[in-house]
This record gives sequence, structure tokens and C-alpha cells, in this order.
Amino acid sequence: MATCRARVAGDSQARETASAIGDILAAVKVVIVGCGRVGSTLANDLAREGHEVAIVDISRRAFDRLEQNFSGQAILGSGIDQEILEQAGAEKADCFISVTNGDNRNIMSAQVAQEIFKIPRVMTRIYDPIRERVYREIGLYTFCPTVVGAAIARTFFESGAAEADRARHSVAASGASGGA
Amino acid sequence: MPERPAYIIVIGAGKVGFYLSRHLLEGGYEVALIEKDPARAALVAAQLGSCASLVGDGDEMAFLATSGIERADVVAAVTGEDEDNLIACQLAKRQFRVPRTIARVNNPRNVQLFHQLGVDVAVSATELILGVIESGLATHGDVLQIPMGGSKAALVRVTVPVGQAVGRQASEIADLAAERLLLIVRNGREIPPETPLEAGDQIVLFTQRPASDFMLEVPELLSPAAR
Repeated sequence: MATCRARVAGDSQARETASAIGDILAAVKVVIVGCGRVGSTLANDLAREGHEVAIVDISRRAFDRLEQNFSGQAILGSGIDQEILEQAGAEKADCFISVTNGDNRNIMSAQVAQEIFKIPRVMTRIYDPIRERVYREIGLYTFCPTVVGAAIARTFFESGAAEADRARHSVAASGASGGA
Repeated sequence: MPERPAYIIVIGAGKVGFYLSRHLLEGGYEVALIEKDPARAALVAAQLGSCASLVGDGDEMAFLATSGIERADVVAAVTGEDEDNLIACQLAKRQFRVPRTIARVNNPRNVQLFHQLGVDVAVSATELILGVIESGLATHGDVLQIPMGGSKAALVRVTVPVGQAVGRQASEIADLAAERLLLIVRNGREIPPETPLEAGDQIVLFTQRPASDFMLEVPELLSPAAR
């Protein structure tokens, strides 16, 4: 999706364009589990662009990361609890992203989203590369910051900053991880 | 007993994991108890013997591989966290082909989910206690919940109370409930199904409905008006 690619690329002009496109396109209903740095950044951006955002976290203080005028829904509770996900509107969601700091919590809530709520697009973050490969093989869309981070650091080590920047953008754009 | 004792890996050395392991060891099984908190693992090892306990993460694949998991007959994940138990069982099943995986479940709603996601047996203490309370409320019997591949099948034991259903036949009560009659027990012995019932007789039925629903119907089934 154009909006996603533009945002991760970090280009402010593209971001504005994406925001304008977002207004024109039908709003996407997205459920985000985990209101840490990644979850809150994503929630703030998507809500500002007019998407319908529900964000879940077990800590009330985590919601301090949301903007003052955050237009989405913040739900206090566990993202592996089906009742909490129902409250977040999982039954009608188009997209689901789990980014808590626990791999197992992310995997379980993503499986609930995919198998129980049948959300069409489900993505989860898994720090452990081995677990990430296992769950990718069985049909979850997974993202491993460990693999991506190591790959970029290695590119920097071998080829310098310019190449590392290129690698960062291509990885961000494809969202791919692959093996180590 | 087979010549080689079954090898059982228990994940999580909390109270459940500890007592489970101890009983299994006493029963002659080969047991490995996996615990990620080193202090807790050391305490447990001191009581069970270090050969039976391992420090490590029950869902860290590299670690699991060192526990001999590929030859395990059963993996029982009994930590206090549903998500950790689910992932440990899934990895055991899918990566190491463990024939039987058992997960402790805290949220009763996860029992069905765990079956759907490939766990062989999901046990919810909450649900078991709930069953005991509900069958207690019914006052006429108790419920033995027997997990059968994710279905709600259960054995139900109804005790005939004083003054109710006496003189009737157990098969008649089973027909009224539309459940299968398995057994009638009087003073610890099986009696033929056509024997007129006496107070204290125990009727054992098989039901595929939620057992707690069935138990709520029992007083009505036994009342004289139900004829």
C-alpha cells in the first residue's frame, strides 16, 4: 500500500501526500496490540490519516504515548483475551498488528485475530528469529526486528552508510525478513 | 507398563509444575522440568534432584532441542501464562513431533482456541472449579469432565436423593434426559439397569452437552412430575 511505504521511508513530503491519499481512500479499520514505541507511533500516524484505529495495552500509562487529540479507541486489557479484542472491534477489522514486547503474546494474539476473528490482514512482530521462521512457515505474516537490524548493521559494516541507508529503505519498503 | 518409562517434559516449575513433576517421578516416569527463572529452578532441583530439572526458556527452540524433546512422549506446559503454554505446545508439536501436548489454560475461553490451534489437551483449572461449583449447586451429583479431542463430552454421575425417583428405573431417567446410560452403582457394585432405584444409587451417564447445563436439569428429571 502506497501510504505504508511512504511513511516508513520517512520522507515528510511523501507523508503529507500519503495523508491526503488516506483522506480520499476509505478509512481502514485497524486493531493494534501493544502501545509501546512502535504501536503508539503507528496508531498516532494512522489515526491522523483518518483511519479507524483501536489500540490495546495492559498498562494504562502506555496510552500516555498517544497524542492529546488521538481520534482512535484505546482499550485497557490483554491482547490475547478474545473479549478485549471484541471490544476493540476485531470482528469488523480489516487489519491487525501485534507489537507488544512479548513474542508469545504477539504470536497468540495474531493467531486469535487470524483464526477466530478472520481478520484479512494480520501481522506480528517476533524478536526471536527461530520462532519467527516457524510461524512464518505456518502462515502468519511476521516481522523480525532482530534479523532486519542485524542485516542493516552488517551492510553498514561491509559497505558504509550510503549502502546501509539503501538497505534500510528496501527492507522497510518490502517489510521482508527472510532467514539470517 | 512398557519396558521404557514414558518421557515427559514439564514446562514451568510453579506450584503446578513442581507437584506434577514430583508425582510423575514417584510414578516411575522419566521427567524433565524446564524453568526459566534460575533461582526457582535451583530450589526445585534441590527437592527433585538436579537430573530432573533444567534451567531454560520453554519456548526457546535452541534450548528445547537440548532437552531431548524429539524423543518426548508428552509435553505439558503449565506456566501461569496462557500464551507461553500455547507457543511451547505448538513448537513441541510442529517442530519436534511430540505425540501428545498438554497445556494449562487460565482463561476458560482459551480451551476451545487451544484445540483449534493444535494443542492436544487444554486443561482449565477455572473451568474444573466452575464445574464443581455448578454441580454442587445442582445438589444431585457431580460431573467428571473428560476431554475428548476438543468436544464437550463428559461423564456425569447423578446420586438419587431420598424420596425422589425411588422405585423408577435408571433407563427411564436416561431416556428423559436423552443421554446414554452407562452404569448404575449401588453400594460400590454395578446393578442391572432394570433394578428399581433406591436413595443413594449412583447413575453414570454420558453427555455431549455442556455438563453444567445437564446438571441443572437433574432435579426436574428426578421429580415425580417428570414421569
